[in-house]
Amino acid sequence: MSWLRNPWGKPRGLLVVTALYILWSIVPVAIAILFAFNDGRSRTTWQGFSFRWFTGSSGSVVHDPALQGALKHTLLLAVICVGVAVPLGVALALGLQRWRGRGGGTINTVMLLPLVTPEIVMGVALLLLFLRVFPGIGLGTEAQAIGQITFTLSYVVVIVRGRLVSIGREYEEAAADLGAPPHDQLMRVVLPLLAPAIVASAAVAFALSIDDFVVTQYLSGDASTTTVSMLLYSSARGAPTPALNAIATVALLITLATLALAFVVYRRFAGGREATAVAALEV
Amino acid sequence: MEGEIQLEGLTKRFDDVVAVDAIDLHMPSAEFFTLLGPSGCGKTTTLRMIAGFEQPTSGRIVLDGTDVAQVPPHKRNVNTVFQSYALFPHLDVAANVAFGLKYQGFNKEERQRKVRGILELVRLKGFENRKPSQLSGGQQQRVALARALVLTPRVLLLDEPLGALDARLRKELQVELKAIQHDIGITFVFVTHDQEEALTMSDRVAVMNDGRVEQAASPREVYEEPRTSFVADFLGVSNLLDATAQGDGAACSLSVGDRAFRAEQGATRVRGDVKAMIRPERIELEAHGAGGDNRLPGMIERAVFLGGSHEVHIRVLGGELLKATVPNDGRPPAVVLEEGSPVTVHLPADGLRVLEPSPQPPESTADAADRPVSTAPSM
Repeated sequence: MSWLRNPWGKPRGLLVVTALYILWSIVPVAIAILFAFNDGRSRTTWQGFSFRWFTGSSGSVVHDPALQGALKHTLLLAVICVGVAVPLGVALALGLQRWRGRGGGTINTVMLLPLVTPEIVMGVALLLLFLRVFPGIGLGTEAQAIGQITFTLSYVVVIVRGRLVSIGREYEEAAADLGAPPHDQLMRVVLPLLAPAIVASAAVAFALSIDDFVVTQYLSGDASTTTVSMLLYSSARGAPTPALNAIATVALLITLATLALAFVVYRRFAGGREATAVAALEV
Repeated sequence: MEGEIQLEGLTKRFDDVVAVDAIDLHMPSAEFFTLLGPSGCGKTTTLRMIAGFEQPTSGRIVLDGTDVAQVPPHKRNVNTVFQSYALFPHLDVAANVAFGLKYQGFNKEERQRKVRGILELVRLKGFENRKPSQLSGGQQQRVALARALVLTPRVLLLDEPLGALDARLRKELQVELKAIQHDIGITFVFVTHDQEEALTMSDRVAVMNDGRVEQAASPREVYEEPRTSFVADFLGVSNLLDATAQGDGAACSLSVGDRAFRAEQGATRVRGDVKAMIRPERIELEAHGAGGDNRLPGMIERAVFLGGSHEVHIRVLGGELLKATVPNDGRPPAVVLEEGSPVTVHLPADGLRVLEPSPQPPESTADAADRPVSTAPSM
């Protein structure tokens, strides 16, 4: 490698490796997206460009009730997940930051466990939980939502706590000093300063929920609780049409748009370095 | 008069560390009171206890006759200017300044009028709609000051408010702060580690070290009449000598090595091992061989020209190194200020001060008995 001998030279070898990697990771996705626009029924042979698998009269995303149902259910779960995990995570992060006694470290570690637990382990554990311990809840939408909230919560806490740490306690003290009671310290100062982190964590939770397969699959009840990721998995081996690619494209676009929004909002208010950290977390 | 603070046995422990160790201080109304000391001496913790951010482990904080030690910060009539200003970044200047007025029951019109008035006082008219990030350091500092002053606190607490500014701006704001304090006549409690800042701005200075107050007095007094070697050392360059004292009240005979000196300042009643000090500007350099009391021969080891003066290091007989400041007053100096020149060093009796040891923590009073100096009466 030339840069090993010449530290001032351009690291051409590294550039080539990087470029190849990017190509390798993008091309399959690009091909999958491309075939969503195929005019024929084949997912491998190109037969011309069309939107028939998105808006066509039969078998398209818009007209196939199975695809429609999956998309709706996916979005429903994502909304529930964000709606619960974000407020809960913000409250937890605030509580953990104020925790001064013993056990703070333990709680921290427990909060981070879902980030490193293999998802299949979590899926099986939750399945047993809902079958044996809480049979009243049973499998289905509620179980899926609770399962997704369980692991997305950790991401919310990590992101919000990171921001809390970088904000520090000084603004709260300043608010108290100026006469604001604790409620006002939170509403007038802490939450506005946390806003970028809250938006970012909401976007991450949303994206995680849409992408999730393992936990959602384990906890699903019947066909009505099928999500896009489950549909893609189950019909990939059956009689697939480019409609699958189309719905995958829709899911991908929703995820990307959410993450892009989060990145922009976070960067706008919290500076570039942290935004990159959040972007890294999301991937 | 309002804004009088009395600290009584104020103590703060963080786990096993005693940050503030049973201090007693009186901060009179409408004075510019400075807590001075090196980092970790407890000055900021003391300020934070007065503000209410830290709960004292024990002791009282009496504000105008009422003990406020257990009152939460938002209910205390004191306001703080933070070291990093802590301006709310999501609010503009006007909203920052108006933040606390809501809790004093003013209506919108009154609030606007007050904000206008205070921004005029700190010379920031026209900056109402700027965000803190669009202001310079000095301007941010003024907003922080305005935000606290607009609430007309009885006491204003300032935690190294000039620390983040460059030297020139610092000097300007020192003068400005002092003038504002004088004009509005409320008590300022100012925390700094900069001795020059403390001396130029304060009516009274409390020098802190290791959680305790070493001396609390006027700037002139702590500089001219430091009571302990810590105060002498912290407030400017001092020459400290180990000596044995034979005090008789009016003056003190000091033995430094095998030489005898007369000292007329400080703890002149003390007997035993002490530290004696003399300021560099009080040391006189005379031609080699000059006779008289309080004189000793030495050799110049280093001479640095500083413009208005020379800084001279002299190695005296016996091995001690003394620092002397020789004014550059245009007259030819009595000695050649060059490395290696022999000189006679005169330590005038009225410039030589006998010091008390630093106050000891209560735990170690047991072994204080064999240290005669610690029983000396204070000046």
